[in-house]
Amino acid sequence: MKTALIATALATSLSTALVLRAMEPAPTAPAPPKRAARAMLDAATTSALPASKFELTQSQSSTPEGTTGSPPAGSGRVLRMAAPQNLERFSAFLGEQKRPSTSATPAPVMLAQADSAATAQNAATTAPDVSQPQVDETALRYFAREGDQRRLEAEIARLRTLYPNWTPPADPLAVPAVSDPQLDAMWQLYAQGRYAELRKAISDRQAADPAWTTPTDLLDRVEVAEARERLVNASDLKQFETVVRTASETPSLLTCSEVDVLWRVAEAFAQTDRPERARDAYKYVLDNCDNAEERVATVEKAIPLLPRTLVDELLATARPGSDEFAAARLSLARKSVADAGEDPSLTVQDDELQAVTAAAEPEAGTASDARLLGWYYLRRDRPQDAQRWFSTAREREDTAEASQGQALALVAQDKPGEAEEVLYKWRDENDEIGRVYMAAVANYLATEPRVAIDPAVLTRMAGETAEVKDAAAAQQFGWYARDLNQHQTAGQWFQTALGWKPDDEASAYGLALTRNILGDHAGVREIQRLWAGRSERIADLGEDRRQRPARPARSSVASPAGETASSSQELQSAPPVTVQTPQAAVERFAGAPAHEASGAAPLPQAYTAALTGPRAASPATASGSAAPRARTPQGRGCATTDLYNQLSGQAALARGWCLMDLNRPLEATDAFERALQTGNAAVQRDAAYGQSLAYLRRNLVDDAAVAAVKAPQPSDRTHQLEVDILTQRATGFFEQERYNEALLALDQRSRLATERTDLMVLRGYAYLNMQRLNDAERVFRAVAAVGNREGLKGLAAVNATRGRP
Amino acid sequence: MTNRLVSAVIGALMMIMASPANAQPVAVTPGTITAAEWSAFKNSFVEGTGRVVDTGNGGISHSEGQGYGLLLAFLANSAPDFDQIWSFTKTELLLRDDGLAAWRWEPGKTPHVSDPNNASDGDVLIAYALSLAGEAWQRADLAAAAQGLIAAIGREVVIPLNSSITLLPAANGFGRDDRPDGPVVNPSYWVFEAFTRFASQDKATDWKALARAGQALVKNARFSERQLPPEWVSLKQRPTPAEGFAVEFGYNAIRIPLYLLRAGIDDPALLRPFAEDAGGAGLSLVDLKTGRTHTTLTDPGYRIIPALVACVLDGTALPEDLLEFTPTAYYPSTLHLLSLAHLRALPGGCA
Repeated sequence: MKTALIATALATSLSTALVLRAMEPAPTAPAPPKRAARAMLDAATTSALPASKFELTQSQSSTPEGTTGSPPAGSGRVLRMAAPQNLERFSAFLGEQKRPSTSATPAPVMLAQADSAATAQNAATTAPDVSQPQVDETALRYFAREGDQRRLEAEIARLRTLYPNWTPPADPLAVPAVSDPQLDAMWQLYAQGRYAELRKAISDRQAADPAWTTPTDLLDRVEVAEARERLVNASDLKQFETVVRTASETPSLLTCSEVDVLWRVAEAFAQTDRPERARDAYKYVLDNCDNAEERVATVEKAIPLLPRTLVDELLATARPGSDEFAAARLSLARKSVADAGEDPSLTVQDDELQAVTAAAEPEAGTASDARLLGWYYLRRDRPQDAQRWFSTAREREDTAEASQGQALALVAQDKPGEAEEVLYKWRDENDEIGRVYMAAVANYLATEPRVAIDPAVLTRMAGETAEVKDAAAAQQFGWYARDLNQHQTAGQWFQTALGWKPDDEASAYGLALTRNILGDHAGVREIQRLWAGRSERIADLGEDRRQRPARPARSSVASPAGETASSSQELQSAPPVTVQTPQAAVERFAGAPAHEASGAAPLPQAYTAALTGPRAASPATASGSAAPRARTPQGRGCATTDLYNQLSGQAALARGWCLMDLNRPLEATDAFERALQTGNAAVQRDAAYGQSLAYLRRNLVDDAAVAAVKAPQPSDRTHQLEVDILTQRATGFFEQERYNEALLALDQRSRLATERTDLMVLRGYAYLNMQRLNDAERVFRAVAAVGNREGLKGLAAVNATRGRP
Repeated sequence: MTNRLVSAVIGALMMIMASPANAQPVAVTPGTITAAEWSAFKNSFVEGTGRVVDTGNGGISHSEGQGYGLLLAFLANSAPDFDQIWSFTKTELLLRDDGLAAWRWEPGKTPHVSDPNNASDGDVLIAYALSLAGEAWQRADLAAAAQGLIAAIGREVVIPLNSSITLLPAANGFGRDDRPDGPVVNPSYWVFEAFTRFASQDKATDWKALARAGQALVKNARFSERQLPPEWVSLKQRPTPAEGFAVEFGYNAIRIPLYLLRAGIDDPALLRPFAEDAGGAGLSLVDLKTGRTHTTLTDPGYRIIPALVACVLDGTALPEDLLEFTPTAYYPSTLHLLSLAHLRALPGGCA
């Protein structure tokens, strides 16, 4: 059955009419080989194919067993039935000129060629008790004499297949001396693989000695050898149809002694979308061939070429009681885990995960298995497990890949500082790792509450930021400096970030805030002018947002044209990115972090900016959990809007931040909702925070308040959120001229955080509009006392309302 | 036509000319290349592996060379050498899924086939030699291989064009959709004698129409004062030199008159421009934009071609030195032997 299977595979593949016809049965089994050959030659004129061709196959192949009771030795088994016919086929071709041109009648063949094969057939069919068929043992003796053990064995196997009754000579060396030196020379050419010269030698002798009968065996062997070369060459050139065609024309090639050929045929089937036939070819090897290494290699070769179900069929052929494919099963399990490490939507069977884990766990386990598991868990939002495996991998072999995975796992656990530490020495390994490193840096800087970062680490992070001109990290340096009340430094960093990424709104906002706090109002207005229509929050900064009756005249704010131009240059052309300046500034960071939170929500910005900028096309950084080898983004960048509801929690979270960064809070709200529903606790926490920020961005303050409590938040974040919500409520009410409510919100806010100058100004105008002129005056005086011109303007407005100078 | 003795021959040829599509090769007979000549050629250009080595081209091999090797071995009546060259050809080049031969084989590369595209003239030459040998030597294996290759050529590289057909130089890269000026053809890939034979062997393709199209091409694609065909011709509209190739009568094109003559085509209207170099310093490679000769080839294998044209057209005897064969480089030596074989097959020669 098994031989029939692969015969089917070959025979039913294209251009195999000849082979099919070669299998045409004689009325009585088995057909004399000559006739089969004849039938093949006459194929062009043969019309109908026998319906029972494969049954014939069976009966033919079983005949020798029926007569002798002993199957041929396994290692040399060929695709039986096909082989002898085929051998004859080629000898028939070569002998064509001597042959009557006929007919499908059982062959009155040339005696000259009938020798061994026909005799063998007779022995098999009519005289099963005759002990030894007459077999051409020339080659056998030649190889024995030459000490060519491999070819000797192959020849014995081949002859056994051809002549099941034949018993090899006990001692092939005990043979008569060479009787035909010319023939001997031909076998030598054969043994040396010099087939073209062998062809010439045969042809020369035929010309010189018309009486000489070329041994069928020799012709057959060179034919098969040439076919083998052709098949291998075609396979190397990926001419897979030629591979299949050649194999089907030369089935005697398909033996266990030519496993490489069988592999190539299988590959050719697989590469031409015939996986079942590829499976048949591999299965033929597994069903018939005994070499342990080749059996294992057969499965290994099938794994990358066949779908899993067919591979499983091959694994099922394992010899009973043996575990011969254990290694192959393990590599399959590794492949499953590796695939799942790239695609979070894949599931891995428990037994496979266990197999890889069992291989990775012992001390003798490999770093690569540990890495596979690391990526697997990273992709499944289990950063702690991922970190453990990457750490194991690094203990075994400290590689860039494992370090990268570990860094991603650490970032996912809000440990960006450790991630930075791990990845620093690998940062130049490749672009991908460089991006992950910079993401770690940005996240480290954005950590809240603020942490004191080792000055040496700050220095190296600043150096790397300058080196790769990473705007996101520069921006975070800005926020970090701002929170340490180092506003000059913050301004430099924001400006640097803008130089590298002129459309970085967050940095522009940071720069505006910084200028505002430094009292550089012309500078603020310049930024507002440049970002007009592009950023609401920049436009809303400071005095200019109030165009209500009681607000300063716009004309008084206008800046001279010259000033505008110079500021514009400063902002839009690349600013002098003096690495020294920020670095020097960094060195001043060493002190304790400030506690006043900025209004700029640095964490999400750091996260998203680091993960979504032009460098963040990679899903690895975007999701924080993807394996970073070259991969295609899978709906991970926020530019991709489909597949959205298939995102895992972590990915949905990243997408939410990404959309926030693009100022698309409506979609971000949904992405965060998705993350809330599918993510783990950490993801839910961040998602709730993100969603409340998204609502805030949409001015849906109440929804923001609801979202903020969807998942427990760290106290610092809760605090920040409440402050933000109250801030927005206050400004919202003010916009709606609901001054009393605005003042209530500001009062609530002031119990949580120091009132910012701009909010104090807001408070002042609220009082003013409520005609609480004394309160307004008090507030504006306080503002003016810190040198803010808004205070003076407010006072002027109060005085104007009072109707006195 | 002053020579009366020749005029009879010319008269006979005129009859053939009257129906060029039916032109028969004057004689393609084993034995028109001597054993000594073949042996010299073989020793210089054929390896034991059966590989025909292009000595003028870095020692690479190609389907054309294998085809020439087979044809010359046939003309030398050497079945053993034919078998030797065929063994290499089928195992090393005849690998393509479509049944055509990969065209380029380099000894220093792995895999040796460094460009799996085919070259149609190589395929035609191989099929032609196989077909001749299969018949003359009663070798069914060779005949069957020829049959398969002829069918593949017809299937893969013969395409309809206007109301006729044409021969693409390769399966890939020259068709209508492959280049802006496609289809692009090479007139020197028309091995006319082969098409005459194919017509009797294969009915799936109108090989006679292909031969007629080739003659029309040689007649119409002529440029410069010298009225010579370029190597590569765009047939997108009326024949023009193809983009991206040198516009010249070059190494490929010099075979055109030889192929015409060997197919028994002796139409002066076709052949006259190719006779101009006869008796001169050598065979001119001509820049067809200027009509200027940029290279003069003096190897006897090149010089014999215009001399042979003059012989057939005018009965001009060939210079003695061209009648002696000494191997020089693969390509001119091949052309030399093919020319000598044709000369010997001409009834009465040319003088």
